[in-house]
Amino acid sequence: MITTLVYGFTIGGILYILSIGLSLTFGSMRIVNFAHALVYTTGAYFLVVALRTLGLGFLPAAAVATVAVLPIAAGIERFIIRRLYGESLDYAIIATYAVLLIGVDLIKWVFGATPIPLSDPIGRDVGLFGISFPLYRLMIIALAISIHGGLYLFFKRTIVGKIVVAGLEDKDAVRSLGIDVDRYFAIVFLVGSGLAALGGVLYAPITSVHPYMGFQVLLICFAVVIVGGMGSLHGTFLASFALGMVIAITGRYWGPAAETMVYAVMAVVLIFKPLDV
Amino acid sequence: MPEEIILETRGVTKRFDGFAAVSGVNYRLREGESAGIIGPNGAGKTTFFNLLTGMFPPTEGTVLYRGADITRIPAHGRVGRGIVRTFQLVSVFDSLTVRENLVLALIRAGKEHAVSARFFLEDAWSGNLPDLSAGALGTVGLREKALWKTSELSYGDKRKLEIALALCLRPSVLLLDEPFAGLSDVEIVEVLELIHRVRKDFTLVIIEHKISRIVDLVSRLSVMHEGKLIAEGEPAEVLADPLVRQVYWGRP
Ligand SMILES: Nc1ncnc2c1ncn2[C@@H]1O[C@H](COP(=O)(O)OP(=O)(O)O)[C@@H](O)[C@H]1O
Ligand SMILES: [Mg+2]
Repeated sequence: MITTLVYGFTIGGILYILSIGLSLTFGSMRIVNFAHALVYTTGAYFLVVALRTLGLGFLPAAAVATVAVLPIAAGIERFIIRRLYGESLDYAIIATYAVLLIGVDLIKWVFGATPIPLSDPIGRDVGLFGISFPLYRLMIIALAISIHGGLYLFFKRTIVGKIVVAGLEDKDAVRSLGIDVDRYFAIVFLVGSGLAALGGVLYAPITSVHPYMGFQVLLICFAVVIVGGMGSLHGTFLASFALGMVIAITGRYWGPAAETMVYAVMAVVLIFKPLDV
Repeated sequence: MPEEIILETRGVTKRFDGFAAVSGVNYRLREGESAGIIGPNGAGKTTFFNLLTGMFPPTEGTVLYRGADITRIPAHGRVGRGIVRTFQLVSVFDSLTVRENLVLALIRAGKEHAVSARFFLEDAWSGNLPDLSAGALGTVGLREKALWKTSELSYGDKRKLEIALALCLRPSVLLLDEPFAGLSDVEIVEVLELIHRVRKDFTLVIIEHKISRIVDLVSRLSVMHEGKLIAEGEPAEVLADPLVRQVYWGRP
């Protein structure tokens, strides 16, 4: 059982790192960004390149891969997302989904479709409650919690954070204070994308790297965003770990139903707390 | 030069899916005057403000500020030039404290304030911000509530805070969109008195649905109806206009 809990927390940590950008982008820019999954996949592939082609160790490779995705994310923001402001929601979905499809085809073309397995970068276990766990997973959990703490402080204590919080509440009112709010939203988008890339990097050694890995997690991330509340930091945090736990516990008793349970939870949440878009 | 035109529109039109909310409006605002815009609900008054402030570009026409074309300048850029507004539905930030709202309003106020150069919120209080925010809050009578959460203010206090934010931006033109809407009678008197007190410092345009409230406040009145300006002039003159009477009271 404790193994299952740690597994659930690991998934929760990854889900949080992945979903927070999606949630903030939706809350601030009102854009459902399917290209987020491409950023995640690209992060994982850049890790492969950094490990195998550049021959770096895991930590530098992870850093290089995450940072290398940022220019791509900036390009997506500048040339796709920024043109979608004020367009209808479904238009943005179609446009960003197209970006995802094109990007995945590009990845297939460059790297091929064969899944690339990676080994546990730490390869050490630690004992806890008399059971041993992969240290790597515990570190992912710790990292997710630190990232949440960092974001929380950023939104609570910094002026830029306050601008973003105000923008989430009423974008036009922030503009009317003479603040170029889109610039700050672009920063949020970049931070969220960087985290998505980091999520891809961190998750790659646990599953395997393949062109479609983004599609798998994308829908679960949407479930997290919907359950947690769009643009809500704490909500996304709690929903990530709750749904991570749902996946782990359902998976333990009946593997195939694990993801289905996530959508069942999402459906229940939607019934009691309808979306207001 | 009391006759200088500070803000002007030439043939501005705004269409939403073919529906013209504002239609071919030519409007001139003289520096230092207090002007009113009245008109029935849906006449296009708020849309006209949105065009003046750059919330969106017009479908046709141009907007000029002190003779320069600002049609393509976005909202935040126009605030930098002194075109400042409030909203029909009060727009202050409920998720921030009263003082944090003021910090946001002071970011663009210039380098002489600590805010624009600071990263951490706490550091913002180290400059002259305490004096500035206290001053602005004092003007609107909210000094004691600086540390309150904005969500706990009454609607009337939120309106006063919104006006305080606008004053922090040092407007040369202040556009107030139905500032009395939703206020109690007592609050209306307070806000009216507040506007009277501060309006000497800038050019004022005020949208109001109820004519009687602003006749004493403005020296010039414009009437909008179905997206068009249908009358303009001194308040008494405009109110005697048969067309205006027809629109407002259904009889000439
Ligand atoms: N963003 C918008 N999209 C579509 N129609 C709008 C929009 N804003 C205003 N309108 C329409 O334009 C007309 C004028 O609205 P508005 O400017 O708010 O009038 P007023 O402020 O005089 O009451 C209304 O019919 C309104 O429904
Ligand atoms: Mg209006």
